[in-house]
Amino acid sequence: MLLLDRNFDVSVTPVSPAALSADETRGVEQFLFQEVQYLDDRDFDAWLALWDEDGRYWVPRFERQANPFEQVSLFWEDKMLREVRVKRLNNARNWSQQPPTRCSHLVGNVAVKGLDSAGHLIVRSSVHHTEWRGEQRHLAGTVHHKLVRGAEGGWRIRLKRVDLVNCDSVFANLEVFI
Amino acid sequence: MTLSNEALAELVRPDSVNKRVYTDPDIFSLEMKRIYGKAWIYVGHESQVPNTGDYHTTRIGDQDVIMVRSTGGAVHVLYNRCPHKGAKLLADGDGNTGKFFRCPYHAWTYKLDGKSLAVPLKNAMEGTCYDPAHPDFSMRKVARVESYRGFVFASQSAEGPDLRSFLGGVISSIDNMCDRSPVGEVEVAGGVFRVLQPSNWKVFYENLHDTMHARVTHESSFQAARDEAAALGEMPFELLIMDGNGEPYEFWEKLELRAYDNGHGYMEGIFDPAAATRDPVSRAHFESLSSVHGEARAREILGMNRHNTIIYGSGSPHTVFQQFRVIRPIAVNRTMVEIQTFRLKGAPDGVFDRALTYANVINSPSSNVMPDDVEVYKRCQEGNLTDGGDWVSLHRYMGTDKVLPDGMVSTNGTSELPMRNQFKAWRQYMLDTGSEHIQGAGRAVA
Repeated sequence: MLLLDRNFDVSVTPVSPAALSADETRGVEQFLFQEVQYLDDRDFDAWLALWDEDGRYWVPRFERQANPFEQVSLFWEDKMLREVRVKRLNNARNWSQQPPTRCSHLVGNVAVKGLDSAGHLIVRSSVHHTEWRGEQRHLAGTVHHKLVRGAEGGWRIRLKRVDLVNCDSVFANLEVFI
Repeated sequence: MTLSNEALAELVRPDSVNKRVYTDPDIFSLEMKRIYGKAWIYVGHESQVPNTGDYHTTRIGDQDVIMVRSTGGAVHVLYNRCPHKGAKLLADGDGNTGKFFRCPYHAWTYKLDGKSLAVPLKNAMEGTCYDPAHPDFSMRKVARVESYRGFVFASQSAEGPDLRSFLGGVISSIDNMCDRSPVGEVEVAGGVFRVLQPSNWKVFYENLHDTMHARVTHESSFQAARDEAAALGEMPFELLIMDGNGEPYEFWEKLELRAYDNGHGYMEGIFDPAAATRDPVSRAHFESLSSVHGEARAREILGMNRHNTIIYGSGSPHTVFQQFRVIRPIAVNRTMVEIQTFRLKGAPDGVFDRALTYANVINSPSSNVMPDDVEVYKRCQEGNLTDGGDWVSLHRYMGTDKVLPDGMVSTNGTSELPMRNQFKAWRQYMLDTGSEHIQGAGRAVA
C-alpha cells in the first residue's frame, strides 16, 4: 500500500553534517516561519505547495515512535490525504468548522541538525500551537522537518514530524494541521 | 432528586424518548448503577495482557478497574483501589506490575488475584480487627469475569445471565472477527486511540446505526474524497472508506439492520463484498483462509459483511476492518472512546496494514469523518438543554420491523429500529431494581 510504503525513510537522525552558510540557515528559519504562517492564515493551498510530491506529514501517537507502519499515528498523511483534508476544510458543509478553527503557531529553537542518507536537510524546532474553536486548546511539541531543494531553488518538505508532548492523551478532534 | 420507577418509565415511549435521558446528571448516575453496575461490559482483550503481571486499566461505568494477568494465566478484573487508604494502586495505562501489586503510599501488597500479601511492620496490627484473610483487606474483584475468544467482559453484579446469553445473536460478530484469522485468533495491535466526545454516551450508540445521517452529516468528507478520487482518476482504499457515506438514500434503504436483546445489534456492510476478490489484499486474505478451511468456508467468512456492530454498554466492533470502538461514559455530557485495532493472527501482513489505515483515516482524532459526527452530537447535547421541546423522535419505520426467533430485523435500512431497541433495553435495565445490588459493595440506590 502506497501510504504505508516502508521504504519511506522516517528517521530524523542525521548521518552526515550539513554545511550551510549563515544566510542559508536564515533561509531555513524563514521557510519554517512561512510554513506555519500559511496555516495560521488558513491559506492551505499555499501550504500544500510547500511540499515535495512524495512528502509525508506525521504526528506520532507514541513517544519515540519508530515508524508509522506498525502502530497507529495521530496523523500520517501523503499528498492525497493532505489534499482531502484541505478539500474538507474548504467545503461549505463542514459542520464542525462552523465557526472554523483558528490557530496561532509559535516556532522557535530552530536548529539545523544535518543530513539523512538521501541528503535531505534535517531541521529541528519547537512549536507552541494555540487553537480556538469554541474552546481554546494548547498543543506543543518538537518538530523535525526534512527538507529537499525544489526545482526553482527553494525548500520543499519531504517530512514533517510533530512529536506532541501529550501524544498519548485523550484528544478532542484534531481537524487542522499542527 | 429522587427518580421513581414511574418517573423513569415515563421517559421512554415506544416511539420517542424524553430529552432528559441525555441531559440529566441524576439519570446518568443511575445509569452507572443500573446499566453499568449490572451488564457485561467489555474490559479489554487478553492479548493486551500476555504475560504474568501485565495489566491494562480502564473503566466500567464510573469505576476504575484493572485487568491483570495472574500467575497461572487467569485474567482478573479488580477495582483500582488499595483497601488501606483507598489510593488507586496503579496509575492509568498499561504496564507490568511484577509478581504483586504494591501500593505507592504505605507499601501494602496484594497478589495478582487481589488477595492480601503483606503489610509492613505487621506486628502493629496485633490485637486489632485487621485480618488479611478478611475480604476488607484484599483488593475487591469485579463480581463476574468471562472471556469469549479473548474478549474479556466483566459484570459488577453477581447475578444475571452468563456472557453468551447476554450477547445473544451479536456474538456472531465477535466470531466473525476472529474467524477472519486463519488460526481463529486476534490480538490488539498498533496501539489505541482515545477520543473525547462532548456528548452523552447514548447519542453515539444511536448514531452507529443511523443510516439517515451519513450523506447529510458527512457531506464535507465524502465530497472531498470524491473530488480527490476524480482528480486522481482512481478510488484508492483511503478514499473509498470516506466515500461510502455519500451513497444515495436508496442504498441505505436496502441495508439490513438487526436488533437483539439487551440493546445489541449490527448493520449490514456498506462496502461491496465482491470487492474482496478484486483487490490484492482481500485476494491474499481469501487464499490464506481457503488453504485452512476450503473455499466455501473462506467465502462464508469473508462474505459476512457487516458495518458497525453494537454491543450495548461496551461499544462497537467493526469486523471487516478489525476495529473496536470501546465507549466509556465519563459524565452526562462527556464520553471517551477507546479505539482498538486488531491483528488477525496468521493473516497476510496487508490485512493489518488495511486495519491500521482504517484506524488512522476513520477512527483517529484527526479523522476527516468523525468531527462532523462529534459536532452534531454536541449540538444535540446543547439543543436538548433548551426549552424548545421535550421529546426526541424515534418514529422512522415504527411498526414495520419484523420479529425473528432471536431478535428483530428492519424491513427498511433507514428504520430507527436500533434506537428503539436500545431504549427498550435501557428501560428494562433502569426499571429492574431487583439485581442492582453490587456484590460486597453494599451500595443502595435511593
